[in-house]
Amino acid sequence: MSAPLIRAALGRALRVALVLWFVVPLVPILLWAFANRWPFPDLLPQQWGLDGVRSGLAAGAPRAFVVSATLGLAVAAIATPAGALAARALDSGRVPLPRLTEAVLFAPLILPAFAVALGLDVLVLRARAPSPVAVVAVLVVAAIPYTTYLMRVAFGAYDSGYEDEARTLGASRATVLIRVQIPLLAPALSGAAFLAFLVGWSDYVVTLLIGGGRVVSVPILVGSFAAGTGNSAVVAALSLAAVVPPLILLIVVARAGRRTGTRT
Amino acid sequence: MTTRLQVRNLTRQHPGQQAPALDGLHLEVDAGGCLAVLGPSGSGKSTALRLIAGLDTPTGGTVLLDGADMTDVPAEKRGIAMVFQRPLLFPHLSVIDNVAFAGRAAGLSRSASRAASRRYLDLVQLGGYADRAVADISGGQAQRVALARSLAAEPKVLLLDEPFSALDSALRSDMYALLRTIRDELNPTIVLVTHDQSEAAVVADAIAVLIGGVLEHHSDVRTAYLRPSTVAVHRLMGGLNEIPGTIVAGVHHSELGSVVLPADDDPRDGPATLVIRQEMLRLVPVTAATLTGVVTALQPAGIRQRACVRVGTTSVFVELAPHVTVAPGAQVGLELPTEALHAVRAGP
Repeated sequence: MSAPLIRAALGRALRVALVLWFVVPLVPILLWAFANRWPFPDLLPQQWGLDGVRSGLAAGAPRAFVVSATLGLAVAAIATPAGALAARALDSGRVPLPRLTEAVLFAPLILPAFAVALGLDVLVLRARAPSPVAVVAVLVVAAIPYTTYLMRVAFGAYDSGYEDEARTLGASRATVLIRVQIPLLAPALSGAAFLAFLVGWSDYVVTLLIGGGRVVSVPILVGSFAAGTGNSAVVAALSLAAVVPPLILLIVVARAGRRTGTRT
Repeated sequence: MTTRLQVRNLTRQHPGQQAPALDGLHLEVDAGGCLAVLGPSGSGKSTALRLIAGLDTPTGGTVLLDGADMTDVPAEKRGIAMVFQRPLLFPHLSVIDNVAFAGRAAGLSRSASRAASRRYLDLVQLGGYADRAVADISGGQAQRVALARSLAAEPKVLLLDEPFSALDSALRSDMYALLRTIRDELNPTIVLVTHDQSEAAVVADAIAVLIGGVLEHHSDVRTAYLRPSTVAVHRLMGGLNEIPGTIVAGVHHSELGSVVLPADDDPRDGPATLVIRQEMLRLVPVTAATLTGVVTALQPAGIRQRACVRVGTTSVFVELAPHVTVAPGAQVGLELPTEALHAVRAGP
C-alpha cells in the first residue's frame, strides 16, 4: 500500500474513532432511558418501557426544565450584552490597566467554580438576595468570561468603518447599534448567548450552593436521582431530555450564522 | 444639494504625537465645485476628510457649510456623506437596501426608502442589481453602489476618500465618467482625496496639496501643474525639472542661461529653483540662438518617449510628442516657452 493510501486510511480510522468517542457514551443513556429493567451483565435491557420518563415527570421534571430554561435565558440575556460591552471596551484600548482588567474578568474561568461559588455565597447571604436572583447573579459572573472572550475575538475582526459610514449617512448612534453593529455581530452574539445559556442551563455547583435547595433545576434533579441507587432509567431519561433544548438552540445559532453574510 | 464648504485653521493633534497630523488647514470649495486634496501617504488628507465629516474631533479650527459652523455638530447631522477607499457595503443588506440605508435612518418605511433609492442606483447604472447580495457583485460595482448609497443621503457635501484607488485603470476611467455624470445631474459639492495627480486633474476643478499636515498649495488644476507653490508640490504634480539658480530683476540665471520669467511670476530677487513641466518643453533644431544640449537617455512613457537632455551639468527632461524620434547622443536645441517657466523660492 502506498504512503498516500495509508495516510487516507489512517485519516478515516481517526475520524471514525472520533465519532465513536462522542457517540458511544450516549448509547447506554439512550438505552437506559427506555429500559424498565436492565440487569448486569446483559448487553441489552430485558424489559423496555417508560418507567424512567414517568418517574421523572412525577418528580417535577417539567418545573425543573422551566427553572433551567429561565436560568439559561436570564444568564444569556445579562451576560451577552455585558460581555459585548466589556469586549468593546477592551478592544478600543480605552480601558485603564487593561491587563489587570482582563485578568479580573477572566478570573472565574481560572478559579475552580466551587471556590467562586463559595466566595460569592458569603456575599449573597450578607446582601440577603433572593435565591433565584442570587443564582442568576453568580452564574452571570461565571458566564461573562466566555461571552467576553468570544466577543473580543469578534470585535478583533470587526471593522468600525461600517459605523463611520452609517453615521455619515445620517444614522444616529441608536440606529448604528440596531441596523449595523448588532446585525454584523449577530453570529458572535448568538454564539456568546448560546454559551451563556449553557452556563445557566447545565450548572450544578452554583445552583446547589447558592440556591440552597430552593432552586431545583434539571442538573439538581438529575443529581438527586443519581445520588441514589436504582434510578438509572430516570437519570438517563432526564439527561436525554436535557440535551434537547441546547441542541435546538445550537441549530438556531448555526442558522443565524449562515444567514449573516447573505442578504436579508 | 449644493453648498459652499469652508475650512478654517483646522488642526488635529493625535494624542501622544508631537507633530500635528493636520496643521491649520484653510480650504474653500464653492457650491457645486470639486476640490481634489492631493498628498503623499501620511500627509493628513484622510484626517482632514474625517474632521470635515465630523468623524473625528479637531484640536482647533472650524468647518462651515454655507457660513454655518458645523464643528460641534455630530457627523450624522452634518449632511456630509463620505465614500471610503473600501466600499464598506453592509453585508447583511441587499444592494437596494444598502442604497436605501439613509432613507431608513431618516425614518422612512422600507418601501419608501427603496423607491427613493432606485433613482441613485439607476444613476450608477446598476438598476438591475437591486436585489443582489453585496457578496455577489464585483469590486467596481460595489464602489458604484457605495457612491449611490452616499448620494441617496442627498448630502450637502460629498467626501470621497481615495474611492477609486483599489480599482484597475479601466474601472477607474469608468468611475471618472460616472463622477462627471453625477456632477452634471446632481451638482454636489465634492472633496476628493487622492494621491494620484492625474486623477485629481481629471476629476476636480481645483487642487489642494497637503504635505506633512500643512497645506502647501491651493489653486485651479492648471496652476497646480504650471505654478506650484513649492518644489515638493511640483514633484507631487509629476514635475521632473528643477533647476537651481538666482532671480535678478525678473530673470532667472542658471546653467540653462538667463531666462525671463513670466510677468505674473514672483519678481523678488534671490535664490530660486526654476521648475518647468516636461510636457511643455520642445526639442528644436540647433541654431546659434537656441539652448543646446545632448540627449543622454530615452525613457519610454507609453506612446511617447521621455528624453533626458544634458545641458552643462544639468539634466532636463523633455516629453516628446508621439511622432518625434531622437537618438541618444544627438545634439538638440531646447525651446523653453515662457508660459512653462516658474521660479520657486526656498523660503517664504
